[in-house]
Amino acid sequence: MAEKIEGSPGYAPGTRVSTKDIVENKITYTWWEPEVQYSWSLGQAMSKFLTGLKKGKILGRTCIKCDRVLVPPRMFCEYCYGPTDAWIELKDTGTIETYSISYLDSDARRIKKPILIGVISIDGASPQHGFMHYFGEMSEKDIHIGMRVKAVWKSPKDREGAITDIKYFKPLEGGEKK
Amino acid sequence: MTFLEKQTDPTTPMHWTGDMQADYFYSNGVAGDRFFKHLMKKDTFLASECPECGVTFIPPRLYCEDCFCGIPDDKWVEVKAQGVIRTNTTAMIDAHNEPLEEPVVMALIEIDDTDGAMLGRIKTDMLGMDLAGLMVKAKLRPRKDREGTMKDILYFEPY
Repeated sequence: MAEKIEGSPGYAPGTRVSTKDIVENKITYTWWEPEVQYSWSLGQAMSKFLTGLKKGKILGRTCIKCDRVLVPPRMFCEYCYGPTDAWIELKDTGTIETYSISYLDSDARRIKKPILIGVISIDGASPQHGFMHYFGEMSEKDIHIGMRVKAVWKSPKDREGAITDIKYFKPLEGGEKK
Repeated sequence: MTFLEKQTDPTTPMHWTGDMQADYFYSNGVAGDRFFKHLMKKDTFLASECPECGVTFIPPRLYCEDCFCGIPDDKWVEVKAQGVIRTNTTAMIDAHNEPLEEPVVMALIEIDDTDGAMLGRIKTDMLGMDLAGLMVKAKLRPRKDREGTMKDILYFEPY
């Protein structure tokens, strides 16, 4: 059975439960795996955007009236409320707008090598238009706001029309221009 | 506003589907563990009585939530697995909004000789009726099948 935690105050004796207690059914518990399925209707813009990713392209939408390029694309411009005008293929390079260094993984386990994520402004799009993604081939010491980055794509056969068709963004070497 | 472009290619994705992993693990704690281990061996419930104010808790508690004093082991009492319905409802649809073949009556049951109550299924034909005041007793799983969860209580039935 679970052991009392050393040094806990007398009025609240904590009790530690080990994995062994659970596996060997020494304690009673409830385990439930809920079915939480969702279906998100992509709409015109996002379905085209994901199709583009499958082909290795980052697609945007232009609003001529407001002189904007929207990434991720939208079928209407939220400035003038008019329909956007045309599809445009953008470069797979950009600039780090903001980032986060996470020492917790998606199951909240502590990890030694941090996960780097952040928002990338995509080149050719309007200022501060872009999306969130992972960063790779750089350390937590190198990453900074304004860093130039480039997408690292999955091989064409592994792409499935998802944002993860881009594996991560790596530092842009060789001084490729905007 | 009209869209100038129409999606005509049937191969373009229309929906993004996913399955959120949200596993749920609830360890019963010291008092809850004792309650369920008792239920696995016997056909009665375990309650705990506050030595100061005399409140009898079910589900049992290690501490009195009224006067905050600890409840010693000798104040744990066995009570009959029966009680009186306080309030109830009849479910006609399941969690996915599909009609249930057999409607389910759920109730809050005040357990006899305690100050606590438990939620449970009621086996009855009186659907959609106010059953408050009905005396019910628990129908438990056969002892060999008990696993130490609330599922060990199959339902409550009038007696």
